Parts: sequence; structure tokens; C-alpha cells
Amino acid sequence: MKVFEDEKNFFDEDFRAELREHARKYFEKTIEENAAAFKKELDSAVAEVTTDLKTHSIQQLDGAITEIKGELREYSVKKLDERFVEYGKEMKDAQNSALESINHTATDLQEQYKQLSETLKKSIADQESTFNNVAKENSDRIATMKDSQDAALDLLNKSAQALQEQYQQLRTMLQKNIVDQENMILSAFEDNMAQIVEHYLLGALGDQFDLKAQLPSIIKQLEENKQAMSDDMKL
Amino acid sequence: MSDVAEKTYNDFTLPPSVVSKVDVSRMVTEVERVDNEMTAAAVRNNNDSMEVAVPVLSQQLTDFLGQNDLKLDNGKLRSDLITQLRILKDKVPIIHMTFAVTADPTSLQELAQWVRANIEPKAVIAVGLQPALVAGVYLRTPNHIHDLSLRGILKGQHDLLVNELGALRGSK
Repeated sequence: MKVFEDEKNFFDEDFRAELREHARKYFEKTIEENAAAFKKELDSAVAEVTTDLKTHSIQQLDGAITEIKGELREYSVKKLDERFVEYGKEMKDAQNSALESINHTATDLQEQYKQLSETLKKSIADQESTFNNVAKENSDRIATMKDSQDAALDLLNKSAQALQEQYQQLRTMLQKNIVDQENMILSAFEDNMAQIVEHYLLGALGDQFDLKAQLPSIIKQLEENKQAMSDDMKL
Repeated sequence: MSDVAEKTYNDFTLPPSVVSKVDVSRMVTEVERVDNEMTAAAVRNNNDSMEVAVPVLSQQLTDFLGQNDLKLDNGKLRSDLITQLRILKDKVPIIHMTFAVTADPTSLQELAQWVRANIEPKAVIAVGLQPALVAGVYLRTPNHIHDLSLRGILKGQHDLLVNELGALRGSK
């Protein structure tokens, strides 16, 4: 009983709590280790699955692309063939239209060339006729001018002869005038010389006498003219 | 001394110091001034003008008054004198004399005296200056010109000088 009690005392509440705590920690450790192992295995599995999925997807995608490429090539070739046929037809129509237009234009050009040729011929004929008329007029004028020149030459000869006669007359007259001018200049020179002599005398005698010195002479002259002055003052 | 009322401008004689018409005008102005001064003095003194002293006069006016026996101590006499002098100034005969040099007053007085003694008693001289005359006088009376200058004399001999030069050229 006592053992039972000792056992009972040994497995008291604290000991049980400690055991529970120990158990709980052991359980948590076990759980964590399992979780880590599980996580590791899961990661490995996921990586493997991802690789497999990628490989599979690529294979599937390559197949799909190859298939689509073939279909697209067939479709494109078909469409291109159709377009080529349409374009060929339209190009043929355009070529035909252009050929027709070129032919039409060539015909018009030929007609215009023909008309121009006729006009040119007519114009050349008119020009030739006008030229002949002008040449004839010029010939007449030249003949008239030649007559005028002959008349002018004759007149010039007569004028030259008259000028020669006038020249002789002028020469005679000029010689006579030169002699007259010479005489006139000499007379003027003598007259001017007299003025120069007078001017010299006036300049030489000027300011030589004041009024007081001149007074006897002035009164003498006044005496000589006294009667005339007196008569004039009495008028 | 006689009264001015008894004398007219025709009775006046001009002294030698009064030479030109300007001198006569100056005498008129001076007598007018003297009359105004003496009349004003008589009014201020409330006296008869006979008793007012005569102001100092110019030499020309003194000579004129002395030569014509005139006095200025009576207001009426002064008034009559002014009237007669004004008439004289307007009617005085003028002889224009142009000289070659500036005329000095003494010579002008001498000439005025000679003119008044020999030509016209009341004549005055208008003086001019013309250096080109060289010497002598260029005289102008109311109706005539008398060229008594050396230039005039030479001008009269111009033809003679020309003839002499012509003769000189002919001889060469």
C-alpha cells in the first residue's frame, strides 16, 4: 500500500505535467521532422511534376504548332494562288486597255503630225512670198537711196566749193580785223596808260596836304568862280 | 540892345562859328531849352522872367546873340527868337563842299566867312569827304557843280596825256 502510495506520490500532478510537456515537445519535434521530410518530398515531387509537365506541354505545343503551320501553309498557298489568278486577270485587262489607249494616241498623233506638216508647208509658202516682196521693196529703196546719195554727194561738192570761197573771204576779213584790233588795243593801251599815270599821280599826291595847307589855293579858285556861284545862289 | 521883334530871320547875320545847318539846328534847340528853363525858374520863383538869370550858353549861341545884338532875358523875346530861328533853319541857303581830307573847324570857319562875305551872307556849308579828289574842293551850289579838285584838273588834261603817249609810240 505504501508502495502504491509512494508510486502515487511519485506520479503526482507535477510529474504528470512534466511528462505531458515532454510528450508534447517530443510530439512537436516528431511532427516538425515529418513535416520537413514531407515538405522535402513534396518539393521534389512538385519539381519532378513541373519538369514532366513542361516536357509534355512542349511536346504538345510543338505538335500543335507543326500542325497549325501545315494548315497555314496550305491556306496561304491556296489564297496566294487565288490572288495570283485575280491579279493576272486584272493585269491582262489593264494591258489590253493600255494598248488600246496607246494605239488611239498614236492615231491622234499621226493626224496632228499631218495637220502640222500641212500648216508648216503653208506657212513656209507665205513666208517665201513675203520675203520676195520685201526683197523687191528693199531693192527699190536701195536704188532710191543710191540716187539720193549721188545727189547729196553732188551737193556736198558744191558746198565744199562754196565753203572754200567763204574761207578765203573770212581769211581776208580776219586779217583786216586783226589789224583793226591791233590798232584798237594799242589805242586802249595808251588810254589805260594815261589812266595809270593819272592814278599814280593821284596816289603819289594824295594825303600830302591838309585842308589848312590847301585853303589859300581853294579860296583862290573860289575867287575865280565867285561870280558864277553868286549868280547861282541868287536864282 | 534891340528887341527881337524888330528883327526877322532875314536880318540875322551868322557868326563864323556857325558853319553848317546842323549848327543852326543846334542853336534852335539850345534857345528852346533856355526858354524852358527860364520860364520854369520864373514860375518857381513867382517872379517876373526879366529878373531870372540867363543860363550858361554855348559859344555859337553867344556869338550869334552878340553879333545880332540880341538878349534872352524876356520870355516874349525868346519866343520870337525861336520862331525866327526855325524859319532861318528851314530857309538857310546851303553850299555843299567835298574835300579830299578831313576838314578842321578853323578852316571851315574861314571858308564860311569867305562865302558869307562874297557869295551869300546867310549861307551855310554842308561838308563831305572824298579822298579820290586828292586835293582842292568839289563844290555844289543849288544848280551847279564846280569841280575845283586836283582830280578834275588832271581829268581835263587826259586827252593831252594820251596824245603825248601816241606821239611817243609814233617816234618809236
